[in-house]
Amino acid sequence: MWRLGPAWSDEDRLARTWRAALPFPHLVFDDFAPAAALPELLAILEEELVERYEGDIFAFDASAPEPATAELRALRESFAAVLAPPLSRIAGRRLRRADMRAYAYRPGHYLLPHSDHQQDLGRAVAYAYYLPSPDPPSGGELELFACRSEGDELVSTDSARMIEPAPNRLVVFEVSTRSLHQVREVLDGLRISLAGWFYP
Amino acid sequence: MTTPTTIEQLFGARTAVVVPDVVAPALAAEIRERLERAGYTRYALLDRGSYDVLVEPEEPALFATLIELAARTTGRSLAIAEARALRLSPGDYLLAHHDRIHGDHPVELVLDLSPAAVPGAEVHYRRRGQVYFRVPCAPGSLGIVERGPTVACNHTYVSKRNPGAIVVRLVLLLRDA
Repeated sequence: MWRLGPAWSDEDRLARTWRAALPFPHLVFDDFAPAAALPELLAILEEELVERYEGDIFAFDASAPEPATAELRALRESFAAVLAPPLSRIAGRRLRRADMRAYAYRPGHYLLPHSDHQQDLGRAVAYAYYLPSPDPPSGGELELFACRSEGDELVSTDSARMIEPAPNRLVVFEVSTRSLHQVREVLDGLRISLAGWFYP
Repeated sequence: MTTPTTIEQLFGARTAVVVPDVVAPALAAEIRERLERAGYTRYALLDRGSYDVLVEPEEPALFATLIELAARTTGRSLAIAEARALRLSPGDYLLAHHDRIHGDHPVELVLDLSPAAVPGAEVHYRRRGQVYFRVPCAPGSLGIVERGPTVACNHTYVSKRNPGAIVVRLVLLLRDA
């Protein structure tokens, strides 16, 4: 299902790009999965139930934290097996496992700015993989923010990069107290993704 | 006779109500205009909130009316401790972790001065993360909530699917006089 393309062949260059990326380390890969694998990928997700999750910072439909089907669990394991070794070398952090949930953002769904960082959870690298949508979304971009502090005090959070949820695109970024990001509100259509974190 | 099972029950149920039609549309429009003239400041630390705020607006006659209504509703003698006006446009919000925790059970008033109802734009009061009381966007209404030490409040995201929507709220914190 997952096979790394030629974009992954020069890890030294990717590591430099990762470190130099602003506002915090991240990479974007287009045409991530082989085109021939996409129908099978979508078929796996069709079997997975999603339900509405709503809090003060989010509103979206998502699968349960632990996949319900053996197929999605296998997809998660193969994703981690293929990605964790090269990402470890690129990010300079040992990554071993990943979790994975399916997300469906419909009109009015959003995920407001947050960092993903929680000391006790051990999230090291976040990822989002965008699937082809039967009704391509308007909105739903991943927006990265630059944080500026004075001492321990956060004094500004400014939009620094917008990444569209293009089909078959993978985004990975470093999780830290400064990795402020959001999913902008979907105004129309359907945004489908697989997302989660890599852990040591 | 039933036995109280929570500390809150031991102390008696606390008020959380929405009183409709406290302010007429014409008066709300006048107040909005005065707040506008006094000048809002943009708050944009986006991990906490995105909104316009006016701290300590001067509306003594209105405050007196609201305090009297809150005192009647709660049975407490109350005085104003803090006041601010909030203005939210599409894309704006205030998150729960941006709210302050109050250990002394103050009363919070939320007067809705919006020109029109905005679907989904609500004030949520939460206990340990769970919403237990919602103040909907209903122009002219007043939310009266006796807060406790486990209560946090957030103002929900205003959808960009409501272009041109404006939510204006006067938020007062009252303490025992």
